[in-house]
Amino acid sequence: MSDSPIRPGSDEEWQALLHQLRHQPQAQPQPFFYARVQARLSARQAAPRLLLPGWVRRPAYAALLGALLLAVSGDGTALHAAPAATPAGQVPQAPTR
Amino acid sequence: MAYSLPLLATLAEPPAPGGSTADAELVAQLQQGSEAAFRTLVARFQGRVYHTAYSLLRSAEEAEDVAQEVFVEVYQTIGRFRGTSALSTWLYRLATSRALQHRRRQQARKRFGFFTSLLGFTDQALPEPPDHANPQALLEGAQQLFLLQQCIGRLPAQQQVAFTLRHEQELSYEEIAAVLGTTVAAVESLLFRARHTLRQHLQSTARHV
Repeated sequence: MSDSPIRPGSDEEWQALLHQLRHQPQAQPQPFFYARVQARLSARQAAPRLLLPGWVRRPAYAALLGALLLAVSGDGTALHAAPAATPAGQVPQAPTR
Repeated sequence: MAYSLPLLATLAEPPAPGGSTADAELVAQLQQGSEAAFRTLVARFQGRVYHTAYSLLRSAEEAEDVAQEVFVEVYQTIGRFRGTSALSTWLYRLATSRALQHRRRQQARKRFGFFTSLLGFTDQALPEPPDHANPQALLEGAQQLFLLQQCIGRLPAQQQVAFTLRHEQELSYEEIAAVLGTTVAAVESLLFRARHTLRQHLQSTARHV
C-alpha cells in the first residue's frame, strides 16, 4: 500500500491529472500543412469519383462474391442438365474406357 | 452508443454562440473563391482541428489525415455555410465526426483484414495502434496520464468527444453543446458520466498496480 498522502482516486489527484492533461504539449501538424491540403484538394478535383467501393473493384473480391452468389442462389439446374438431355426411355450409359 | 454524424448532419450548422466578425469576413471571402482566405482559414484553425483529431485518435498520421480531410471538405462545402453558427463550431463538429468516422473505418478494416489474411490475398500490412507505453514514461510518472488517455479512448463516442473538448480544448459547455448538436444539460450529463467512469477505471487500475 502506498504511503503517499494523496490516495489514488482522490479529488486532489484527479484535479492534478486533469491539469496535466490540459497542459500537455499541444499536438501540432508538421510544417507545410497547407501545401499538403492543397495537394489533396488538387488530387481530389482531378480524380473522377468512383461509384463502387474499392473492395468491389478488386478481382479477387468480385470473384468471391460471384462464387458466393452462385452457391447461395443455385437450384442445381446446371448439375442436372446432362441427365435431362437423354431421350425418354433410355437409360444413360456409363462412359466406357 | 455510436456517435455518428451523417454528411448532411455535419454540413448543417449547429446553433452556436458567438462567431467573430473576422470569421464572418473570412467565410464571405471563401465563398467568393479566395485562395488567400482559404490559406488564412487553414493557418488559423489547423492547430485546433489537428489537436482535436489527435486527442480522439492518438496517432499523428491519422490526425494529419483527418485534419486534411476536414479542410478539403470545408473548401468544397463552404458555399452551403450560411454563417448562422460560429465557424470554429462547424470546424470542431467536422473534426470530431470525421475522426470518429476514421476510427470506425480503421476498426472495420482491421476486422476485414483479419478475414482476408485468412483467405491469403491480402496485399497490405495492417498497422497496429501505436503503443505509447515505454518504461521511461512510466518511470517519469506519466503512467496515470497514459492510463487516463487509454480510458478516454474507450469511452462511448459522445462522452469521449465531450470530455476531450472540455478538458483538452477547454471549450465551454455551450460550445460543446453546439458542436454535438445537443443541450447544455445533456453535455453536463455526458461529462458527469465520463468523469465517473474514468475515475472508477483509474481507481480499479491503481488497486491492481
